[in-house]
Amino acid sequence: MSAVATAISAKAANAPRSGARLLVSTLKRLGVEVVFGYPGGAIMPVYDALTGSGLKHILVRHEQGAAFAADAYARSTGKVGVCMATSGPGATNLITGIANAFMDSVPMVCITGNVATHLMGTDAFQEIDILGVTLPIVKHSWVVRDPVDVPAVIEEAFHVARSGRPGPVLVDLPKDVQVGLTSDDFGFHYPNEATPLDHAAIAEAEHLIRAAERPLIYIGGGVKIAGAVPALRDFAERTGIPSVSTLNALGSIRTDAPGFLGMLGMHGTRAANEAVQDSDLLIVFGARFDDRATGKLNAFAPHAKVVHFDIDPAEIGKLRAVHVPVIGELKSGIEALTRRMAMTPLAIDPWMIRCTSSARRNAFRYDAPGHGVYAPALLNELSKVAGDSFVAACDVGQHQMWVAQHCEFSRPEAHLTSGGLGAMGYGLPAGLGAKLANPEAHVVTVSGDGSFMMNIQELATLRRYGVALKIVLLDNSSLGLVRQWQELFFAENYSEVDLSDNPDFVAVAQAFGIEAFMIDRRDQVSGGIARLLAAPGPCLMHVLIDPKENVWPLVPPGKSNGEMMHDTRFDEGDM
Amino acid sequence: MSDTIHIQIDRADGSLQRLIGLVERRGFHIDAMSLSDEGTVRRVQLQVRGRDDGRCSENLGRQIDKLIGATRIGLAPAAYAYPGSVPA
Repeated sequence: MSAVATAISAKAANAPRSGARLLVSTLKRLGVEVVFGYPGGAIMPVYDALTGSGLKHILVRHEQGAAFAADAYARSTGKVGVCMATSGPGATNLITGIANAFMDSVPMVCITGNVATHLMGTDAFQEIDILGVTLPIVKHSWVVRDPVDVPAVIEEAFHVARSGRPGPVLVDLPKDVQVGLTSDDFGFHYPNEATPLDHAAIAEAEHLIRAAERPLIYIGGGVKIAGAVPALRDFAERTGIPSVSTLNALGSIRTDAPGFLGMLGMHGTRAANEAVQDSDLLIVFGARFDDRATGKLNAFAPHAKVVHFDIDPAEIGKLRAVHVPVIGELKSGIEALTRRMAMTPLAIDPWMIRCTSSARRNAFRYDAPGHGVYAPALLNELSKVAGDSFVAACDVGQHQMWVAQHCEFSRPEAHLTSGGLGAMGYGLPAGLGAKLANPEAHVVTVSGDGSFMMNIQELATLRRYGVALKIVLLDNSSLGLVRQWQELFFAENYSEVDLSDNPDFVAVAQAFGIEAFMIDRRDQVSGGIARLLAAPGPCLMHVLIDPKENVWPLVPPGKSNGEMMHDTRFDEGDM
Repeated sequence: MSDTIHIQIDRADGSLQRLIGLVERRGFHIDAMSLSDEGTVRRVQLQVRGRDDGRCSENLGRQIDKLIGATRIGLAPAAYAYPGSVPA
């Protein structure tokens, strides 16, 4: 990687500077606007250098919050997220956030302090081999052993984090490197490495698409990462091929667009899963055949050939045999395919009619019986009222699946969710990071009573910086998704899922200085949403929902996507 | 069945651990291994065997290709010779 970099400056500064000051000046040179972090003993020289530097630092209340906030900042802007922590417990508290970014290919630079180099390996106070601990969950990592290397390593770290298939990287800075002085300031310039288009493969892809009777676009998170959303939409519109999306790709095609059939997989729509199972050609853009998307792998899309566009060669054939791999940057790849396809239209009207009529027949219904709040209806209304500036930062559980199923998204940056890792506790710090990055947007954290308690301390961060994040807390007094599985697959043996002794969330939020109110009836939903979105500062809407409510439809574990269970309440038509 | 992979890696913090961790994490046993230092780089020869039939050493090779500071020697995947890909 370093072989392609060229030195752009090797100037002697007027006065020697410390590694910590070089870190801060390099971050500023790279255009970093905000850093999320938490100080401690082994990173104090860096915090000393932050003072008066002009670099904005957001002090979270737990390092995991810093990592999640940096992740969401990156997801919602396309920029590299930056977080920092001290050695030992500070560094280990980042780990879940690093893993989250790794699983979803989010560009993030994590900076950790460490004990001085001569103490490393001696079990010194707060010494942890964080480089070793994080090896499986970073794209790359460095220990900087000389202050003169700080600028070069930081610039390489940013390049690695955002190039190719993005991911988190870690830079470990021993304390002596932070305080050590150097007069040198080497900078490096990393050119974009464009992979040449594989025209032969794209021609083969065109051939397969033209030969197909039931082609289907399978959209993954790579489309958004590659900045290929307009290219994808153009391809879908010009060819008229219907599409399905993974959890992380929702919004890549507007969820209300004709021909978009919804999310595929375990909690996907019946129309999307039926289309995949019936398709004779999957055109896969930047997806990795995750098990939550495919269900039982050897029964997934049994009649389909596969064309797979991806920047990561290691994803080709990893889980599903591929007929035509197109390896390279997605945007130019899709554009080239579109140019070939646009000349002659496809004759797939019967297939398109079959897909769209299935979507109409299986559309979600919001007329559930009763007077209590029906969470899917609330979320659908919320996304419609908030409109195109809506950004949902989800936690993990039933509410996360309801957001994916029932909210409307006009762009993929509008849906921030812990997809690969499924990390409870993501929602609140993610909302913080996203709102700081998008102050004009309606950023709403949608959480559950289980997830919310995992990073509830970040309410203090909202208050401190006056971040006008809105929170919808769907409270079923239980770990709902686990409870649902126990009901369906463990003979109703409800083991350790009861959270009915939750605190009074409205009182807790108010104690943090945050406006909060509660609703528990359907006729309060519209007024509640209006009040929430109109609140000038951070605001929490605590929503009591039926603990028995389940996420439907559902592909049972180990089953094919063709074997969906559904909500039988709607079987008899009107209720 | 085991396969032999030749890799050149930088002498950087954690580079050997990173390589071996990747091989084991992706579902392979290391049956034999040799290491030699050549100035700023190390050459590593790994004899690997999948834990089960679903493990493809060419796929492992492509994971190794993604490691920064590591290069496979003498094993460049041909453009379409992708195990797991089938004739169109």
